[in-house]
Amino acid sequence: MLIWFLPVFLVLLMIGMPVFFGLLVAPGVLLWLSGQERDLALLYRNIYNGMDSFPLMALPFFMLAGELMNRGGITLRLVEFSQAIMGHLRGGLAHVNILSSILFAGLSGSAVADTSALGSTLIPAMEKNGYSRRFAAAITAASSVIGPIIPPSGIMIIYAYVMGESVAALFLAGIVPGLMVGLGLMGMVRLMADRYDLPKAERIIKVDQTITPSENLIARGMARINFIGLLWGAHVLIAASLGVATAPALPTLAVLAVVTELFFRLMRRRMSEPVRIVYKRAIVPLQTPIIILGGILFGVFTPTEASVIAVAYAILISFFILRSMKLRDLPSILTKSALGSSTVLLLVGAAVAFKTVVSLSHAPETLAEFILSLSENPYTLLFLINILLFIVGMFLDAGPAIIILGPILGPIFVDIGVHPVHFAIIMSVNLTVGLATPPMGLVLFVASSVSGERVETISKAILPFLAVEVVVIFLITYIPAISLTIPRLTGFIQ
Amino acid sequence: MIVLWGPLRLLMMINSLVLRVGRFLAWTALALMVIVILIQVIYRYIPTLDALPWPEEAARFLMLWMTGLIAPSAYRWGGFVAIDMVPRALPKSVAAVLMLVLLALAAVVLVVGIGFGLRHVTSGCSFNSPTLYVPFTLKLDWLSPCSTPIFEWGGFAWARVKLAWMYLSLLVGVCLLLAVNVELMLRSLILLLDPAADVPEDSAMIAAGAD
Repeated sequence: MLIWFLPVFLVLLMIGMPVFFGLLVAPGVLLWLSGQERDLALLYRNIYNGMDSFPLMALPFFMLAGELMNRGGITLRLVEFSQAIMGHLRGGLAHVNILSSILFAGLSGSAVADTSALGSTLIPAMEKNGYSRRFAAAITAASSVIGPIIPPSGIMIIYAYVMGESVAALFLAGIVPGLMVGLGLMGMVRLMADRYDLPKAERIIKVDQTITPSENLIARGMARINFIGLLWGAHVLIAASLGVATAPALPTLAVLAVVTELFFRLMRRRMSEPVRIVYKRAIVPLQTPIIILGGILFGVFTPTEASVIAVAYAILISFFILRSMKLRDLPSILTKSALGSSTVLLLVGAAVAFKTVVSLSHAPETLAEFILSLSENPYTLLFLINILLFIVGMFLDAGPAIIILGPILGPIFVDIGVHPVHFAIIMSVNLTVGLATPPMGLVLFVASSVSGERVETISKAILPFLAVEVVVIFLITYIPAISLTIPRLTGFIQ
Repeated sequence: MIVLWGPLRLLMMINSLVLRVGRFLAWTALALMVIVILIQVIYRYIPTLDALPWPEEAARFLMLWMTGLIAPSAYRWGGFVAIDMVPRALPKSVAAVLMLVLLALAAVVLVVGIGFGLRHVTSGCSFNSPTLYVPFTLKLDWLSPCSTPIFEWGGFAWARVKLAWMYLSLLVGVCLLLAVNVELMLRSLILLLDPAADVPEDSAMIAAGAD
């Protein structure tokens, strides 16, 4: 009897029931019909227990951090920085759009935030430079998918919580797939640039930019520290791979510091003043991903604490360095983040309740039997599941889809030998791309409202980019090393 | 029609007011969460200070109340995720009937939920929070069904917080959701009877998105 909850749930969902209520009605009705009222109380309690979680708290905090950075004008600095780096290539502004998405992805965990933040600055700029509006909207939507793949990521926090995985491992596993999506999109832009004769942009540098003396000092210091850190990491890695002991720390650091200083002096001569200012203005905001990832990686703080540090850092930058925010802006930013995260938290609670009924019903066993009867080959099954996820992603947002499907599909694939973190990444990337697939893609709607172009038009223009993303999904699926190497090297998974 | 307009206007007024207060408390709770967790990190990393036991639970307490108080606003403004392809493809009158049926189902869930919620909160009276204390004992028993006396001042002394106070957040959320749900039902009933009706919108609306 209970096995019927899944079809009932799907029917409710298809006719427009909000996911939150669907998750409760379907199992609730069946429990009631089969006389298991006591389990109904369990359903309620598990909504509460599902939301009462410390790891889950990273969700509202990362949302808040993203919102703060966006309102504080950090987005604009990242776009200018990307322009200074890639603006001169053929199809320059399209590349700038993608690079900005990659950088922004390190600050926020949401594709929608990415689309609305970058779209509102870049789509008009691209139009002015001779791109069609639908192309500009399509590339914005396609590249914003990188947001939740590169850490931090709201979707991965949800997956980790619902499935009991480590948030840190998922974050680290998302880095390379996210970069691959970005590079893939850039490759596609390059191909289209020849074919459709996309405009070449001059290296766009705003000449009238200024930087305050204090920020100048901080940025110079931070850039050098970052570079020393980079060299130190390389040094440790090389030493480890050669099997020799690392050199004593202090003298090595001194040498690295000297090398860094010489390198910066050399670079200084090769760059004009405006370029240097644009670079410097991006340094302070770009510390955010370093703080988040570094903090989690070295065990300085948990992902939840890292998210709070990100909030504090965003407030620090916007109030004291950029001076772009006032105290009276805070309530609306806080309200918006609370509003967005409350619906997700309720959904997670309902999903945890749903999950208890899922396990009571033996549905996973029945479903597993069915799936395994199709094929026993993991590769074939992964292919089929990718198709299923892609179709689901066309109709449902990534968060709810993960909440519903994770507990059902995850255990089946772990059983046939797929690494849990690998499966998490397949699912997250596939469903995140689903945010940009017609007919129901949240990101498409946002891109449409930002650009004023119709959803149908953007849907057509986005197809070549979606093709690239599908290729990346299959690469990730069949080469586990893409997602598993970084978490393995850092010891977060076996 | 007048039978529907009266209650709708009244309910909209009450909801607008109550939910505005809810949103205010919710954003305050989020701000406090940030501060509380920052305190936790600072206390752990300053060598002369000991790690604190309470920030984690306090932050969870605040998060639960934030959710309970602001989620109803999201529901009211259409922020609950749903697939609306079928309703949009249907003729208007059929879609309105379907909408009403779905809202009625949601109402049943919420009413049943309130029943379980009350029992859940009562059960929370027998448990103390592991780490949260307040510097006084004030029995607000007309709110939490923990013991018999109403509004009894217990004097200044550190007392553990009852878990019922945390459990209450979800119950309050469910009650507010029900109030919003009734408002939405009245709206769609009016639109069903008179498709040209000019049903007022809430002026404070903010688009809510999460992904």
